[in-house]
Amino acid sequence: MSEQPTGRRSRLAGLRRIPGRGILVFSRERKIPYLLLGIFLIIFPIVDPYTPHVDFVGDAGRWILLALGLNIVVGYAGLLDLGYAAFFAIGSYTFAILASPQFGIHISFWLLLFVSAFVAALFGILLGAPTLRLRGDYLAIVTLGFGEIVPRVIRNASKFTGGVNGIVGTDQPKIPAILGFHGFSFGLNPVPYYYLMLIIIVITILLIRNLRNSRLGRAWMAVREDEVAAAATGINTVTTKLLAFALGASFSGFAGSYYASKLFIVTPETFSFVVSVTVLLMVVLGGMGNIRGVIVGALLIYFIQAYLLVQLPGWIAAATQALNIGFLNNIDVAGYVQRSSILIFGVILVVIMLLRPQGLIPSSQRKVELELGTTEESVSDLRGSA
Amino acid sequence: MPLLETHGLTKRFGGLVAVDGVDLSVEEGEIFAMIGPNGAGKTTMFNLIAGLYKPTSGTIRFKGKWVYPVQEYWRTYLPPLAGYYTIANSVRRALGAGPLPIGLRPHAVTALGIARTFQNIRLFSYMTALENVMVGEHVRMHAQVWDALLRSPYARKEERVVRERAMEWLRFVGLERYAEQYARNLPYGFQRRLEIARALATQPTLLMLDEPAAGFNPQEKAQLMDLIQEIRSRGITIFLIEHDMKVVMEVSERIVVLDYGEKIAEGPPQKVRTDPRVIEAYLGKSA
Repeated sequence: MSEQPTGRRSRLAGLRRIPGRGILVFSRERKIPYLLLGIFLIIFPIVDPYTPHVDFVGDAGRWILLALGLNIVVGYAGLLDLGYAAFFAIGSYTFAILASPQFGIHISFWLLLFVSAFVAALFGILLGAPTLRLRGDYLAIVTLGFGEIVPRVIRNASKFTGGVNGIVGTDQPKIPAILGFHGFSFGLNPVPYYYLMLIIIVITILLIRNLRNSRLGRAWMAVREDEVAAAATGINTVTTKLLAFALGASFSGFAGSYYASKLFIVTPETFSFVVSVTVLLMVVLGGMGNIRGVIVGALLIYFIQAYLLVQLPGWIAAATQALNIGFLNNIDVAGYVQRSSILIFGVILVVIMLLRPQGLIPSSQRKVELELGTTEESVSDLRGSA
Repeated sequence: MPLLETHGLTKRFGGLVAVDGVDLSVEEGEIFAMIGPNGAGKTTMFNLIAGLYKPTSGTIRFKGKWVYPVQEYWRTYLPPLAGYYTIANSVRRALGAGPLPIGLRPHAVTALGIARTFQNIRLFSYMTALENVMVGEHVRMHAQVWDALLRSPYARKEERVVRERAMEWLRFVGLERYAEQYARNLPYGFQRRLEIARALATQPTLLMLDEPAAGFNPQEKAQLMDLIQEIRSRGITIFLIEHDMKVVMEVSERIVVLDYGEKIAEGPPQKVRTDPRVIEAYLGKSA
């Protein structure tokens, strides 16, 4: 009676969890690398005071934040969202409108951080409501539409949003003077932004971990696994899905106000479809439903896009010069590489996905799912058949 | 007053009448079985009661409360536009029309105290057995979003209690050793029991079992019958669909027989067994 199906068990042997706990718990040995990483991240701007580097890493943080937010929607609740950039845009513009010369309103950055998260969450519900009956591909199409509508509205509502030119001169965060400590504005210095991003990410990770292991997190996963069974087991699939959209969107609200204040400017071009796809890419490539995986995915994609592909033509040019072979000098290899950078990006993605179809650090669920397959069905499919 | 009561319950799928005007009443504390040939509409009945299907016509009441159609505004049980239904229903009542054809949604039916299992097992495959049962507890939990986000003392305490209770249910069906296994990896018989544990975790008054003995060997069937008796002894009413006549005759106190969506017989096992219409439905009319 207690026999296990042997073939499957052997493949799943690596997935065993710590007895008595449903959640993954870091053992003491595994804590040390995280501790070292934390110390490194804290002292990084001191060791390497060259500000473009700090800026580069800080900007990577924005992508991590976006990927973590989308991971709630896609990884936990299993709702495919192709319009995530829209929430990022809404977060950014909420901040820009309430903290810029546009209307002469200058509300504190610290307050707006939460206001824009809240506004993004509201729009998350707004998008979620009409899509509740949809799933899979159909849901993706509606979210895609939403992702297109938002930048278009922003472009055309120039009275509020400055239209194509965007909103220029957004406020910077200020640390107020308390107890003899001199307050200062972040201004153009990327170092305080870096620390701000670090703090936001740490808090976000803690919050998302809490969610994952909560009543709500289980409800999300149950809906992802089998919506009909989830509903019959007492889960309100409507509120559960809406909360996934809302909470997922709220984290992009944080990223939005951070981004808007750091760049001094928001323009509708920054929130194109490509952004949505890039974030989705980070989530899928890193490992859906796994916080560490998503972070690694975000870092990797950002590194490839913002560093590797930018530097590659220069390296190639230097290499051909050093080799100094006649025909190589004539055909301008570096130029080719530069022009085909998107192609190279695509090839890298294909290779990674072929080598690790389950993502770089997959959640244990996804790992099994990919090996054994899955089915889906929606409650509204049944209820709709009147 | 019966625990569960349906009147003229009908469900059409296009031209096919799956359930045709069925009157049913399940009394508190009994073991009630529904039998009938394949395609008789038994599972459709379950889906109607559980709120997964919307009836074409008829009514469903549970513990005296309306499951379909809903008469009054219940904030917890109805979709966000509940206020609108309340107003529309009072207008309709004034005009002498029946209430809007709107029923409780599945989770609301579960909250009222009806739990069910599925004919083809529907567990959350990539969640552990314990997590599956904890999802069952969801409907009796109160932690809100902020509790979840901040891991408030309340949420922590509730998680602890619920985890303990879920373990107890696993122990009750004999699966405590498999708490940390993925539901997907459990053997078939254990998956069926896990589904029962998940249903019990919702703290139901009425447990609906859809062919619980399907694919079981005689020994497993005997264990299942014991389990059903034990569940009943905890004060939970049982409503089951079963094909295995031995199980049905042995365990149930009252039987209803469906054929082509219609109720053709009802009564204690001995009476149903000898009913000519039942014999005809199962064996076909002798020429």
